[in-house]
Amino acid sequence: MSSGFSSAFFAGVRFEARMMRRDGAIWFALIALAGVALFALAMGAARVAAQQAAIAGARADETQRLTNLQKMLAQLQQGDAQGKPAQEPPPYRDPRNAAFMGGGPAAAVAALAPAPLALVATGQSDLLPPAVRVTTGSKDSFLFADEIDNPANLMSGATDLAFVIVFVYPLVILAMAFNLLAGEREQGTLAMNLASARRPSAALAGKLAARVAAPITGTLLAAAAGVWIFAGWERLATPGFAALAVAVLLYGLFWAALAAAVDGLGRSSAFNALALIGAWVAITMILPAAINSLAAFAHPAPSRIDMVLAARAASTDADKARDASLSRYADEHGGGGKPTGGPQEMTLRRLATQEAAFQRVEAIIAEHDAQLARQREMADRLGYLSPAYLTYSTLADIAGSGEARYRAFLDRIRAFHVDWRDFFLSRAKAGASLTAQDYAAMPKFTQADEELVGPAPAGLGGPLIGVALPMLILAALALRGYRRAALKRRQ
Amino acid sequence: MSDLVLAPLSATAPTKSRWRVVRAVAAKEWLELFRDRRLVWLCAFVVALMLAALAFGYVENARVLRERDAAAQADRELWTGQSAKNPHAAAHFGQYAFKPLSPLALADPGVDAYVGSAVWLEAHKQNEIQFKQARDGGVGARLGSLSLAFILQTIAPLIVILMGFASFSGERESGTLKQLLSVGARPRDILAGKAMALIGAIFALLAPAFVGAALALVFFVDRERLSLADQFIRLGALGAAHAAYLAGFAFLALGVSALARNSRAALVTLLAFWLVNSFLAPRLATDAARALTPTPSWQAFRAGIAQDKAKTFGHDESHPAFIAFRDETLKKYGVSRIEDLPVSFRGLALRKDDEAGYAIFDRHFGALQSAFDRQDALRAAPGFLFPLLALRPISMAFSGVDSRSQFDFATAAEAHRRDIQNQVSDNLIHFAHDNSYVAGPELWRKIASFAYRAPGAGFALGYSALAIVGLLGWLALACAFALFAARRLRPV
Repeated sequence: MSSGFSSAFFAGVRFEARMMRRDGAIWFALIALAGVALFALAMGAARVAAQQAAIAGARADETQRLTNLQKMLAQLQQGDAQGKPAQEPPPYRDPRNAAFMGGGPAAAVAALAPAPLALVATGQSDLLPPAVRVTTGSKDSFLFADEIDNPANLMSGATDLAFVIVFVYPLVILAMAFNLLAGEREQGTLAMNLASARRPSAALAGKLAARVAAPITGTLLAAAAGVWIFAGWERLATPGFAALAVAVLLYGLFWAALAAAVDGLGRSSAFNALALIGAWVAITMILPAAINSLAAFAHPAPSRIDMVLAARAASTDADKARDASLSRYADEHGGGGKPTGGPQEMTLRRLATQEAAFQRVEAIIAEHDAQLARQREMADRLGYLSPAYLTYSTLADIAGSGEARYRAFLDRIRAFHVDWRDFFLSRAKAGASLTAQDYAAMPKFTQADEELVGPAPAGLGGPLIGVALPMLILAALALRGYRRAALKRRQ
Repeated sequence: MSDLVLAPLSATAPTKSRWRVVRAVAAKEWLELFRDRRLVWLCAFVVALMLAALAFGYVENARVLRERDAAAQADRELWTGQSAKNPHAAAHFGQYAFKPLSPLALADPGVDAYVGSAVWLEAHKQNEIQFKQARDGGVGARLGSLSLAFILQTIAPLIVILMGFASFSGERESGTLKQLLSVGARPRDILAGKAMALIGAIFALLAPAFVGAALALVFFVDRERLSLADQFIRLGALGAAHAAYLAGFAFLALGVSALARNSRAALVTLLAFWLVNSFLAPRLATDAARALTPTPSWQAFRAGIAQDKAKTFGHDESHPAFIAFRDETLKKYGVSRIEDLPVSFRGLALRKDDEAGYAIFDRHFGALQSAFDRQDALRAAPGFLFPLLALRPISMAFSGVDSRSQFDFATAAEAHRRDIQNQVSDNLIHFAHDNSYVAGPELWRKIASFAYRAPGAGFALGYSALAIVGLLGWLALACAFALFAARRLRPV
């Protein structure tokens, strides 16, 4: 940057900053934006606290259940040892029964603790429960449990920083930058201002920089202050916060460049205002809605009901197979009626139905996941049409409430589910009773360390470039518009 | 105003003359709106968007309906195809109830994606409705999808604002307002004329969408299950509510335009209101409703039920309540041993336990729905100021996709579950003479499948009273504001 350009640029910045300081409306808009951002972070902190409470509640319940089972086991063992066996509990309450205990009473809690910057974006965290009770049953029986919430609340959406950044922040930037040229032209001050600058286009760029720097800096400062107040200062020194700052900056610059490009067309303030409002509606509302509808139309979400029906069909088939096998046994061994209702038969029947349901449900979930992945892939690709869509997804990923982190959580549940089933079903199939040692050795679901400390958000490069690229193109168009305005002055 | 030919009017102009002014202003406004190519193209775009949204809604709903019908049939086959077993074991296997899709969900999907589609009707337990479609949608899906309601409630007010923001201020800036007032036209008549034109434009905007929705209903509604007339009544209510909502915006735009210093100030003020109404108010009202009427976590909710259920005996034969019931039954039949009872004690005990459970579930699920209702009422309360808060519940209620409709379905499903339990227990009571008793397919077939008949439009009306009052309040307030602004109309 030549010294002539920079001095004109900074002169433009200083001049515009002086003008802005005296404009009450600008102060109002900036303070309102910062206030809304802080309020959104306060709401985010309350939401995170509720998630943490839900996890703590689930863990306390798990501890209570296991303590009760161990106590009951000790009483049964003590009775046996003393030769005074206690009354035999039904198999589904018997702490020694591996087939039943792993299927519910001893179920393990798999929890996904909120990420360090979870207060930034609600994402899918209000729909996907933070804690799941893993059992030996097929996944349809535990993976789709929901946290309680009024459906109308879920539909309205939450006030979070992601909402403020995606919807409100661009409007303030547009309000500041939509009539830099047009406003001065309509007031009759444009010619005079350009005539007094050595490098008119640099001076205009400086004025624009002053106008857009205020909301961008204000939002970044509000975000930093909010994170500090509601989540602790150490969260500011994380890669996640750096990514948040970059996302906010790029998104703000995109809207600034768009405003400047429209202003550079040389039309009236009214035209600029209408064009930019139209662009805002298209980019933040219509395009994301159209993207979602198109993706859902092209790759409809699979019906989860199929999964349940498959599990039920497997269960009835296994039941019938078990009946047939018992009848054969009775025929071949000359027995009377088939042995129904006994604890051992109940256990074996449960094992058979669970195994059959597990196999079918796993296959269907894999099919569903593949279909959903196609839908999301298409939505993600089309998302490049809307910087708002990209920024919203990016902020959710930074907050750990996006798909990437939940998908990783589900993968770990999948692995844990296999371990959990092996632990209980191997004992059940062998006819072994659970012992106090078994209770101590039960698999535990622990959250990966990197998830607790907050990993550097991955996969954000594409979306950030997706916002930066149109921003650069629009900035080039804006510069051309400014140069054209400066040239007109010379003519 | 060159094309408006008016003779000077006296201060006490007869009604006929005033009506002439109103009509002339309306005709001129209408002509100007029609001549503004940008607005015409914008309206055409919005109409195309609405029709596209209807088409998406139609295709999606038809697909979901097919899926749920097939699922209901498959589940019936599974139920009747069970092998011979103890009826109580069959009750544990249970049935699934699938929520039928309301035909008008093609116009307003409401909370459908957030409530799940199926509920498992099993022994001993009332379950929540499962499989929320929104869970599968991904993060980006939270930015919404195209629906007629989304366009009418969010985009259409913006179009009305763009049509109306310069109504008075533009005329003032071009000097024609002064001319108009100088010939004796009363501000109130000018306002009436401009309002007529704007409301006419709103009807022109709404008409294609509602004609499209009506046609879609004709093709979509299964007349064996639903009344087409009822669906048209619902559609009419939707049309009236959206017309009132948008008419309020028209009056607001006219009022602001009359009071504003210039068109730019009018536009900025109206856009700020639109932003607050469409985006901030629903979220802030939801946050307030959550804070003022908290709902329990799933863990706390289920723990509350478990605590009450612990007072009943379930399958626990050592439970004091079980022993008391056994003694009471033996006394009632005048025998001293269970084996001497003429009926199955197990069946009686199951029925007794189920009945105790029904009261518990009614209390807990009822309290939860009451909390949801209070939240909904709190959210709708500021609807007279921010009309989207009033319109949304009305639109969802008449489309059959609000949380009350959901609760009605859940209540019907629970009634069916209880019917299954009662029939199973009755079978045991009368036929299970020992523990090896099994029933066959004739019992499974005798127990009907779940058939839900959604309530009529009167149900929606009953639960929308507060929101309707709010919406009418909004219209009255906006109208009063426009009249107030017209009184203070400055010619320059």
